[in-house]
Parts: sequence; structure tokens; C-alpha cells
Amino acid sequence: MKKVLSYFRSMTFGMILLVIVMALSLAGSLIPQQEAAMTYVNAYGSQTAMLLLGLGFTDIFHTWYFYTLEILLCLNLLLCSILRFPKTRKAGERLKRRAQEAALDKPFHYIEEYQKITSYLSAVHFTKAETSNGALVYTKHLMGFYGSFFVHLSILLVLLFGSLVLMTPKVTDQTVMPGEALTLSDGTTITCDSFHIQDETGKLDYASVLTAASPDGKQSKTQEIRVNEPMRFGSYKIYQQTYGTAGRIQITNTENGAVDVQYLTDPCFLSIDQRNGIYFEALYPAYYREEDGSFTLITSTDRSYPDPVYRIQSITDGMSAAVLAFPGEEIHMEEITFTFLDPAEYPGLRIKHVAAWLYGGLYFSFGLMVAALYLCFFTVPVAVKVTEEGYTICSSKDQEGLEIALAALCAEHGGQRGA
Amino acid sequence: MDICFFAALIIYFLASVIQFVASAMKKDGLHKIARVVFLAGFVLHTAYTVWRGIVAGRLPLANQFEFASGFAWAIVVLGFIMYSRLKQEWVMTAAMPMTFLILSYAAFQPMQIKDIMPALRSTWFALHIGSAAFSYASFAISAGLGVGYLVQLKKGKSADDPRMKQMDYLGYRVICLGFLLLTVVIFSGAIWAEQAWSSWWSWDPKETWALITWIFYAIYLHQRLRLKWQGKRMAWLAIIAFILVIFTFAGVNLLLPGLHSYATT
Repeated sequence: MKKVLSYFRSMTFGMILLVIVMALSLAGSLIPQQEAAMTYVNAYGSQTAMLLLGLGFTDIFHTWYFYTLEILLCLNLLLCSILRFPKTRKAGERLKRRAQEAALDKPFHYIEEYQKITSYLSAVHFTKAETSNGALVYTKHLMGFYGSFFVHLSILLVLLFGSLVLMTPKVTDQTVMPGEALTLSDGTTITCDSFHIQDETGKLDYASVLTAASPDGKQSKTQEIRVNEPMRFGSYKIYQQTYGTAGRIQITNTENGAVDVQYLTDPCFLSIDQRNGIYFEALYPAYYREEDGSFTLITSTDRSYPDPVYRIQSITDGMSAAVLAFPGEEIHMEEITFTFLDPAEYPGLRIKHVAAWLYGGLYFSFGLMVAALYLCFFTVPVAVKVTEEGYTICSSKDQEGLEIALAALCAEHGGQRGA
Repeated sequence: MDICFFAALIIYFLASVIQFVASAMKKDGLHKIARVVFLAGFVLHTAYTVWRGIVAGRLPLANQFEFASGFAWAIVVLGFIMYSRLKQEWVMTAAMPMTFLILSYAAFQPMQIKDIMPALRSTWFALHIGSAAFSYASFAISAGLGVGYLVQLKKGKSADDPRMKQMDYLGYRVICLGFLLLTVVIFSGAIWAEQAWSSWWSWDPKETWALITWIFYAIYLHQRLRLKWQGKRMAWLAIIAFILVIFTFAGVNLLLPGLHSYATT
């Protein structure tokens, strides 16, 4: 058991895992991911495609073996972090003891040198401690010992919180027409007050003004959302994800004066009595009128609608007739008048329900890792023993950087001694 | 003002040639001239970058040309900072040709100033792209030092020579800086992606290759710190790692379309 644990926490095991993650990521970036099976057959031939599909290489980042690798990496990080901590905690004390016991290798020639060195060390923020034998031990950057520990711990936290943030949220994509409201499963309502696709300078930028309200209506918030500026309301985060264009039709009852405006996105039957009405088929962005008077409908104009036209079926007593209707036109059927209006743009929202503390944990892990890397690479723990006879420098950061750090300190002190 | 850019490119080339000649002939005077010429190129390059930023009304790092130019600019800045501290000519010998090569790549990219897409209008833009430029610059210098190390080794210099040791150590230290900055790049990108696209990680090719690069440098650092690898092996690793950086920077945009595809134009 001890041997197994020892292997799981070893650097060799960690390196092997990293190399495999790297190789799989490489494969995942070169092979298109999450495409339809036929895409792979067309691209690679049926045999290779079957092999890729069978091995899960077409969705490599969500395969069981990729998750297993992540779990093993977490285990490796956990074991090496936990087991390293007691050693790390004592490293500072060990360094002080080593300095205390070290022989002086840089003798002073004049008493002024002793004063110069001690004042220099105090000036550059070394912490002074007096030992029982009268020597002074100056220490600096002892936190540097924790660098490696915190780096590994923060990677572990990034993996944990990152996985939770990716896997736990409930994400739904919804469209909402301007002026209309969505009611979420817990009763929270999101009303789209307005939507526009240009910013104040006329540049393309999709923005919706939303009002979110809690189920009891006690809390509400109004905010304009656009890319990079989602709205946070309770545990919800609402993003401006996409946009679309819908047809609009005004239905007027001439007898009682009732007026209703409906948005047309999908084919639908607007019926008066289940027998008569109009069947909306599609909205086209533009059309071209041929010389013989017929129309050619244009399906794509970079998502704008310069000359919109509605294609509908007018249904009377079960008989249908294809009709093209332009904004402003009316169709009368008994007491009902259908008026075709200019199309309207509407937002597509992404609504994410995730606990805020998970994001807090993830961002804390990010910050911790950056700080830990700084500690690890840019703070070298060092101790200097000084007596009236001379001094010696100790650093137990067991890296080859030690020699150069010592040389730099010696050179600075040498300059002072020369003076 | 484009003339400033091309003048800087030519001057960087001249500085690299003078530096190589100076190194081959061991002439200190020529080294000094190379540095002055390099500095002149840097002044022109900076002037062009500032002008472009003013005209565009934003940080000029939004497309492949601008980023490559910023990347080259960051190499010069790091090169001068390192030189001012170490006073070692091989720092400039590594930085000068790298600057010229990266800026040459920029010269082949479309140079028009365009409005940035809404997704790039973010407070994270400066931190994410700025740290990427300096991270890549650190890796470029480490690769340059790696090449310099291998050339010196080939010329018969001993790995125990103090200058060779210093070159090897400095290569490792700039990788430490680059690695820290690359971590900032990945994390700031993740936070930004969550704001813009609702997911902090989506295995987009650029994200994946940034992770591959990060893992490779993590392996480099472990080999160095724990297994005490030094010298020739580390020089080769630094060069290979930089090839990954270049692929992440340019190759992914050209060959693997994804969420970062806007950076190609």
C-alpha cells in the first residue's frame, strides 16, 4: 500500500499523466470534435471514422478515460500537496538552524564591515534574530518555501472548482420577444424591455434591456446586457447569446375592437374558427421582382431584412391559396383583419443557474496559483549568519539558482566591504 | 506612418547582422553600435505602435499583425531590461534576431486598422493580450538563448564555462517569467470567456494549444527543478517549446478555426 501511495504521489507519475493529457489534447484539437458521424466518414473514410468513433476521439474531452486522467491528476496533486506540507512547514526553521550552525566563510577584515553588512541586511528587509551564542541570523523570503506547495494545491483547486463550474450549472437557451417575459422554473421572471443591435456610435453590438424579478416580486433588477456584460440576478447569470428576426402580425377584431400583436418565428396557423385563417410559412428578408411580374424570394442577406416579405397560405373553407404579403398589407376574413407589420429583432438569451460560491472558489484558485508561482520562482529563501568575525549565507532552496543568488549577494556585500 | 514600421524592420535586421559580426569578430565597439541601431529600431517601432493605438482608439493588439508587432516589441523591452541588469552580449544576440523574425511575420499580415468586434471590447483585453505578448517574448528569448547555447557548445565551449552556465540559467529564469505570464493569460482568458461566451473553458483550439504549451513548460520546469536537467537538454526543450508557442500563436489561427478565429484578420 505504501509503495502504491508513493507511486501515486511521485513526480514520475505526475509527468506521465501530463504527457498523456497533452497528447490527448493534441489529438482533440486536430480531430474535429462533436461532429455528426458522417462528417468523419467523409473526412477520413469509413474504417478510420469507425476507429475514431469507437475510441471516443470524436469527443475526446468528455470520454471516461479523459475524466479518469483528471481524477488521477487530482489524486497525484492531493497526495503530493498533503505529504509535502509538514516538510514545507519546517523548512524555514531548518534554514535558520543551518545558518546558526554554519561556519563563517567570509571573514571581516575591519569592524566597520560588520556594521555595514548588518545595516545593509536591515535596509533590504531581512528579519533579524539573535542566537544563544551571540551570532545574528538574518532571514528573508521564508514564504518562498511554500511556493511549490501552493502551486500544486492551487492546480488541484482549479481542477476541482473548474470541473464543478463546468458540470453543475443548468444552462438553457431561450428567446424572448421585446415586451414579453419569461418565467423560470422557480418563478423568477425575466422581461425583455427592449433589444437593439447597434451601439450609440452605430457599430454592430447586440444589447437587450432586461428586468429580472424574484418570484415574490420583492427583488428586481434592470440592466442592459451585451457580450462581455451579462446580468447576475441571484444564482442566475443571463447572457446576450444571439439574436433573430421575427415576423409581426396585428390581429384586429372589427366587431369588438380587440387588437393583438403576435410574433411569427415558426410556421403556425392563425385561425378564426379552425377552418378559416392564415397559415404562416416563412418570413423572407428580401425579394426580387422578375420581368414577368413573379417574385423570387431571397433567403439570405447577411441577417438584415431590407425588403421583408411574408409567405403565407390564406385558408378559406378548407381551401388554401399561397399568398405573399408585404408589411403594411391587410387580409380581411369576416370580422378579423390581419395586418402584416415590419419584422422585429429579438434576443436569444442564455440563462445559467450556478452557485456564486463556485465562481468565487475558481477565481480564488486562479489568484492563488499566480501568487504561488511568483512565490515559487521569484522569492528565494535566504538566511545570513553574521558575527563580528565574519558572515555566511545559506539558502536551502535546493535549486541551482542558489549559487547565482549567493554570488549576487556576495558581490553586493563585496562592494560594501571594499568601501 | 507605415514607413516607420518597415524602417524598424530593416533596422532590426541591420542590428542583428552587426551583432552577429561583432560576436564572430569579438569586437566590443561593434556590439555597442548594434545596440544603438537596435534602440533606433525600437524607437521607430514604439512610435508606430503608439500612432496605431491613437488612430485605432484602442490597444493595438487586436489582430494577427498587431499582436505579432506587440510580441516583437515585448522581446525588445525584455532584451534591454535583461541586458541592463546582466551586461551580457549574448542576451542581445538572442533578442535581436528573434525580434526581426517575429516582426517579419507581422509584415506579411494585413495591416489595415479595423474596428474590433464587440466580444473584444472588454476590460480583460489589455491584461489577456498584454501578458500574452510578454509571455511569448520571454519564451522567444529563452529559445534564442537555447540556440545560442547549442551554437557555443558546437563551437567547443565547455558546459562548465561560467558564461555557458549563466546563459543556461538565464534561459530557465525567463521561462519562469513566461510561465507565470502564460498562467495569467490562461486565467484572464478563462474569466473573460465566461463573461463573453458563458463558459470559462470550451476546448477551443486556441485554449487547448495554450494548455498544451503550458503543460510542456510545466514539464520543462519539473525536469529542471526536480531532476536537475541542465545545459544541452534544456536548450533543446526550450527550442521545442517555442515551436509550440509559435503554433499556438500563428498555426492555430491559420489551421484550426475556433472562437479565436477573429484574430487572423
